Amino acid sequence: MGVLHRQRWCGATGLLVPLLTLASPAFLKIDGVAPSWAVLWLLPWALVDGPASGAIAGLCLGLVLDGLHLGQASEVPVLILLGWWWGRIGRRGLPIERSYNLGLLAVLGTLLLGASLMLQLHWLGQLPLPAAGLHSLVAQSLITAFLAPVLCSLQLLRWRRIAELRS
Amino acid sequence: MPGRSLRVPTLRKVAEAWPWWLLLLALLGVRLSKGAGFVDAYALLSRPFWPGSAQSEWLRSAQQLQDQANLQQLQRDNQRLRSLLDLDRNSTGRVSAPVISRDEGGWWQQLELGKGSLDGIRAGAPVLAPGGLIGRVSSVTPTTARVELLTDSGSRLGVWVARVQRHGLLVGQGTPRPQLQFLEKDTGVRPGDVITTSPASTLVPPNLLIGVVQSVNEDLAPAPEATVQLSAPVDAVDWVQVVTR
Repeated sequence: MGVLHRQRWCGATGLLVPLLTLASPAFLKIDGVAPSWAVLWLLPWALVDGPASGAIAGLCLGLVLDGLHLGQASEVPVLILLGWWWGRIGRRGLPIERSYNLGLLAVLGTLLLGASLMLQLHWLGQLPLPAAGLHSLVAQSLITAFLAPVLCSLQLLRWRRIAELRS
Repeated sequence: MPGRSLRVPTLRKVAEAWPWWLLLLALLGVRLSKGAGFVDAYALLSRPFWPGSAQSEWLRSAQQLQDQANLQQLQRDNQRLRSLLDLDRNSTGRVSAPVISRDEGGWWQQLELGKGSLDGIRAGAPVLAPGGLIGRVSSVTPTTARVELLTDSGSRLGVWVARVQRHGLLVGQGTPRPQLQFLEKDTGVRPGDVITTSPASTLVPPNLLIGVVQSVNEDLAPAPEATVQLSAPVDAVDWVQVVTR
């Protein structure tokens, strides 16, 4: 694990994810679909703090977000997987800094999260119209991809600096 | 031998991480209580930004208009039902509640209301907006309530087409227009027919306006289906009324 999780204020920024999910600002939506705030927060966190911290952060976020929506479909498994995967990417090779890479990782994460929700809803019999699920999947991936280069870059730079100072 | 087991390095690490276990336990509590605590905290933080009372008054006047329009139908149905059913509907009341969070276009179609069990709201309570029924309360915390909209893909509600005297099942599709499924083949339903809650319903008050049939697919087997346009604008409403018993 890295050192980021030991900084209380850095961890506390995770509270913004459920708050933004609830506030759901209309100007940050595409056709009524909001971005995946969990992906936008978890990506820089895992890249800086490593796979174990990323997976635990994914678990915590998933538990809270599952409590905020209807039904039994869960975001926990995919968020744990994404935290672990992005943590491993952050530990290997050159540090990821380019906006294009961040946007691509965010899109892949959102697509994976959306596909998992679609499968679960389909399995639970709560997705009578697959086109509606595809609409949410595409719209959420697009808006997350637009926001990721800006938000994730800023978080990444800030948290990397803190991690370098503390280590 | 006190503390013997703690000499094992792995167990000692596990024991030293007790604050994290407590945090995980708390998060599990949040998950199992469907967001209790978090939603309450959000309601507390966002209270200064809640919608003002103007729409609340508009809602009341719209409700009066709707009541007048439904009066004749209610009287006719009441006469018929009084002889058939012995249901107590005199003890119902309505609580006005602000919409503090709205998600009408994503994976789940839901609202969060700024009033909860402390105001008498219970799970399953019908939720009305200017124009008609929009959903039912799915879960409540002391100060908030979560509404499952009629458009949510998990929503199922028995409805009534008054013109042809037919029952149907309104099924949410995850889109703005739910689907109306019929039980019989020849329904006679056509675009423009008004959909209301079933006069025989025990879950929601009878004869509440829901929407209008937009199109009918007669070719489906074993029974036709219709697309319904809801009469209440879910994406614009800031205040709703919750029916309490």
